This record gives sequence, C-alpha cells and structure tokens, in this order.
Amino acid sequence: MAILDETKARLLRGAVQDNIDVLQGVRSTDVLQGVRSARSIRRHRIVRPWMLWSLLLVAGMAYLTIPVQVTWRGGGQTANSASIAQDALVPLADESSAIETALRHPQPLDRGAIPLSIKRIVIDPGHGGEPGTTAQSGITEKEITLDIALRLRRLAQDSHLEVLLTRDGDRSFSLDKRVAFANENKADLFVSIHVNWMEPHTIRALETYYVGPTDDPATMKLASMENKESAYSLSDYKKILDKIYVDERRDESRTLAKAIQGQLYHSLKPANPLLENRGVRTAPFVVLIGTQMPAVLVEVSCLSNEDEVKLLTKQNYRENIALALLQGIRNYATTLNVSSRKGS
Amino acid sequence: MEESNETLCVGIDLGTSRSSISASTGERHVIDSYVGWPVDMVARKLVKKPVLVGHEALENRSMLDLRRPLERGVMKEGSEKDQEAVQEIIRHLINLAGIKQKGKNKSKLRAVVGVPAEAFRVSRQNLRRAMEGVADSVMLVSEPFAVAYGLEALLHALVIDIGAGTADFCVMQGRYPTEEDQKTLTTAGDSVDEQLVKLVRERYPDVQFSIHMIREWKEKWSFVGEPKDRVLVTAPIKGKAMEIDVTQEMRTACESILPPICETLAALLTKVEPEFQSKVRNNIILAGGSSLIAGLQDAVTKSLEELGGGRATVVKDPVFAGSDGGLAIARDASTADWEKLSL
Repeated sequence: MAILDETKARLLRGAVQDNIDVLQGVRSTDVLQGVRSARSIRRHRIVRPWMLWSLLLVAGMAYLTIPVQVTWRGGGQTANSASIAQDALVPLADESSAIETALRHPQPLDRGAIPLSIKRIVIDPGHGGEPGTTAQSGITEKEITLDIALRLRRLAQDSHLEVLLTRDGDRSFSLDKRVAFANENKADLFVSIHVNWMEPHTIRALETYYVGPTDDPATMKLASMENKESAYSLSDYKKILDKIYVDERRDESRTLAKAIQGQLYHSLKPANPLLENRGVRTAPFVVLIGTQMPAVLVEVSCLSNEDEVKLLTKQNYRENIALALLQGIRNYATTLNVSSRKGS
Repeated sequence: MEESNETLCVGIDLGTSRSSISASTGERHVIDSYVGWPVDMVARKLVKKPVLVGHEALENRSMLDLRRPLERGVMKEGSEKDQEAVQEIIRHLINLAGIKQKGKNKSKLRAVVGVPAEAFRVSRQNLRRAMEGVADSVMLVSEPFAVAYGLEALLHALVIDIGAGTADFCVMQGRYPTEEDQKTLTTAGDSVDEQLVKLVRERYPDVQFSIHMIREWKEKWSFVGEPKDRVLVTAPIKGKAMEIDVTQEMRTACESILPPICETLAALLTKVEPEFQSKVRNNIILAGGSSLIAGLQDAVTKSLEELGGGRATVVKDPVFAGSDGGLAIARDASTADWEKLSL
C-alpha cells in the first residue's frame, strides 16, 4: 500500500509539474521528456530571462532607430511612432518586476504602434499542370483558380496595387517554389486561391485558412491533399508547428483571413443563398508555413457540389469572387493603421 | 484526500463524441458533445432556451447552429464559437453534477480534465481558458493516464483509450509518462463512421442517410471478426423506409481501425524494458467508447500472439473510466498543488 501511495504521489508531482510548465510556456515536447530532461528545463529557465532581456533591448533599440514612415498607397496616412516606443521603454528599464511580469505574460503588439503599408501582393492560383480537384462535368480546380487570379490582377491595377502571380498559365510549379517566389519578391501579402472538394456533396462551403495547427480530421485531410506536391509528411509538420505558435505573422494572417472571408461571404451570398460560411480556420498548408508575410489560403467554392459548379461556369460569378478577394484585401489594409487599443 | 466541505472535485473526460463527468458529490453524467444555438427568433421561441447542449441539441438540430466543438479530443482552432461551445459543455456537465457555479453558496471547484496524449500545448492552453469562470483550479492530464490512475494500473500496464476522435496509448511504468510512453492516433471511432458512410454509399447509392444515423447504427451493431447476426438497418430510399443489410460494411469499417491500433501497440511494447515486456503484454487495458466494439478485445489479444502472447481486457465502465480517473487525481492532489494550478 505504501508503495502504491508513493507511486501515486510521484505521478501526481509529474502531472502538476507538467501543467505548471504548460502555464509557464515551456514547450510541450520539453515537458514530456519528464524526469530525464528536468535539469535541462531548469537550466532553460535560468537562461531564458537574460535571453529575453537581450531580445527586448535589441528590439527596443531597433525600434527607436528605424524611422517608421507610414504609407498605404491608397490612403496616404502617415505617422511617426518613435515616441510611443520611447514611452514604452522608460518604465520597463526602471521596474524589473514589471519586466518579469511582461515576459511571463507577453501582450500582443498594438498593431497601430507600427503602421504598415501594402504595396505588393502575391496571388497563388492553386495547382497547375496537375488539375487539383475535378468536377463531374470536367471543370478543373487549376482552371478556376487561374481564371480568378487573372481577374484579380486586372482589377487590382486600378487600386495601385502590384499583383504578382505564381503562375499565369497552366504549368506545374511546386509548393516550395511558390513560397520562394513570394519571399524573394518581398510580397506584403500572400493569397493562395483554391477550390474545395467536400463530402457529402451537398456541402457548398466557403472557408479561409491561415497557418496553424488543426485538430479537425477533415482539415488534416485537406492539408494532406493540398500539400501532396511537398516532400514533407504530416508528422513532420507537427514538429514544426510549435514554432508557428509564436510566429508574429499569425495574428496578421488571421486578420487578413477574416477580412477576406467576411467580404467573400457578403459578396457571394446574394447570388448563392445556400452558401455556407465556414469561417476562418487554421491548417498546416506548406504555402502558409513557408511564406514570410501574412498569408492565407482561400477555398472559394466546392467543385464537389454541382450547383456550385454551375455558378463557377458563369463569368459574372468568377468576377465577383475576384472582386470580393480584392475588396477583402483592401478592407484588411485599411485596418493596418488603426490602433487596437481603446482610446489611442 | 484534502477535500473540505466547500471544495468539490470533478474529473471530466471531454470527448469528441461524448463527454462525461464524475464528481465528488457522487454524481456521474455523460452527454453528447454537441452544442446548438437557435438560428433565429422563431427557433428560439420553439426551443425555449438560448443554448442547447447534448442530446437535446442533436434532437433539435434543424433549428440550431449546431457545433461539435471538439475534434480529436481537443478544441478546434479558429472559431470563437467553438470555444464558447466547449464552455457550454463544461458548464452543462458541472450543472448536471449539481455544482453551484454562482451565488453565495458557490463551491470551490477543482477540475481534472483529460486531453489526448499528444495534445498540442496551445490546445491545452485554450482548454484552460475555456475553464475560466467555471472552475477555480484546473489540471489537464492525458486521457489514458487518467484511466490508468483511476484503475491503479500504474506499473507494467498499457492503456488504450479509444474514443471517437483519437485512440490514445500510454505505457505505465510507475512514473509520470514521458513523450516516448504515449501515442495518439487519429484513427478511432470517427474513422469508422467515415468508412461506413463510404461503404454504405457505394453499395446502396440510392439510400438516404445522415452521419447521425451512421453513428447510431455503429453504436448498436459495431463488431469485428465473424458476425453473430446480420446487421439490418432501416433507411429511406426515395422517401420509402427500407431495410438494408450492412453486415459486411459494418465489419469492414470497424476492422479498419485494427491495423493502426495493433501496430502502435507493438511499437510501444518494444520501448518497454525487455524483462517487463511480458508483464505489460498481459496487462493491456482498453477504455473509451470505441472499446465497446464487439470482438475488439479478442482481436487485440490475438494480435499479441505474434509478439509472444498477451491479454487485452476492456475496463468495466469504459464511458466513465476517464472521468473517474480524473476524479481520483483531483482528490489525491494536495491543496498546495491545486493552488499552483488556480485559474
């Protein structure tokens, strides 16, 4: 009985420590190493405040020395945020306890503090060469996505927005090359256009993804399908997703996803009353993981649904999708220079 | 152990399909993990509630924005509505257990919640957030660990908790399980549903059925191995109710989860110290709703023959094994431990 109680006590200590580590932000993989890595975790804790101190100082100095001129090509808003940074740094330098608290509970950066602009976007028409999904009537995903992307590029010319396409014809272009194309061109945003295939076929859904993990088997399946040109396996993604949790792009990608999803649904619903708004979701798509700018993948329709296919065959409907995507991007852009803090 | 009159403990097993609670008050409840909000004023008038949970939500689904907020045993990401839905499920379970969450006589609540063995850290943090305002302190533990703790199978045992969204494995070696001791498979009850949908549709293209009907059939007639009886179900064909035979489809769908489960079991056994492998092989414990598939215990035991023989047994109460284990942990943890985990 004493042995049992002792074992229980040991297990409980482990369970409690595991929870405390999660609360304090130690990565779960470290936590699960259990007793053997306990020493390394303790060492990690000793080092971490100094590392974060250094990072904070470097970031603060960079923030003070870089003049942040703000332009949104369409709007022409300007601001200088150096004074905000200085105000923020003074109390932090004086109050170590406040710093420790802030480090333990990092607050999201007020996006209004560093207003940004959008000048160049990369649009990625999904698939090419290989067809992607194919409707019973023979219409392919690669045709629809390219058509919408070309329309979007034409429409964007009037918005003083530079649009680059990862492909402008029916050619194969691997996922890592699409990612490299966006990164090398220093795009401000990345929007990948796809058309879904869902079961049961009665579903006619609209959904927008940004990078992150998913617990939804259907989404995992979709990610697996869309990522099939990649050499990675889904188990590899799981390992790198921990890094994505702390990716500062994630919040911006979510905001972009919300703006696009909201506008698409609003614009398409009148012509497509049965359209289902599946909202904004996260998934480990390769093109969202590798890109260095806010990035989303939009499933604009479902080729598995015959009524959706009928709509997609109409030029007006595809034009509406392109217009809605552009308007969604514009909506996102207008939020960039708006502070999220009340009163600021 | 240190429970006072004002402090109550609960163990909660949040499942993709069903969620259960075991409370120190003696109450135990299980509900379907569905939440629904009336879609409009008319629906709200008809259902007479702002939100419906469990079977009630499923029954009235045509009038509701229905959510099944847990996938693979953890909260879906990307939807605030799903987070709200998880909170509703937890509140509902706690209400069912007769625990007051408001007012002067509000109890101090310590909750242990089971999550899949390989749940992402962020999923666990989301779950903690969902518990705010519901419990005072929360401890998240892996589901099979909770089962093992409740059964006091703490040494030389291997627990397989097969739910709807995940099958969770955990080798118990007298210490808190490490990453190497645990494994989560997404091949579980929902995979059987998907297979069954596909197979029935292939054989009977004109039959109309929903995923809810499929789940009902599976819960009544799931099996692996040789069938004892034909599985006859009723479903409409062009509006007319017809009886169809889905025996082979049921068997194929249920057996589809066996290979990954047996392979994972074998892989985990190889990581056990060689001198203890035989003991662990003879102490394979099956829990979770999907462990109720008829013949599963024998099929897993048979798969152990190739490894030198062994024995798998299904726990007496698969539905509550996780929440009972959670309650045992909640009771045994000290007040000092709980203070560290307060919300």
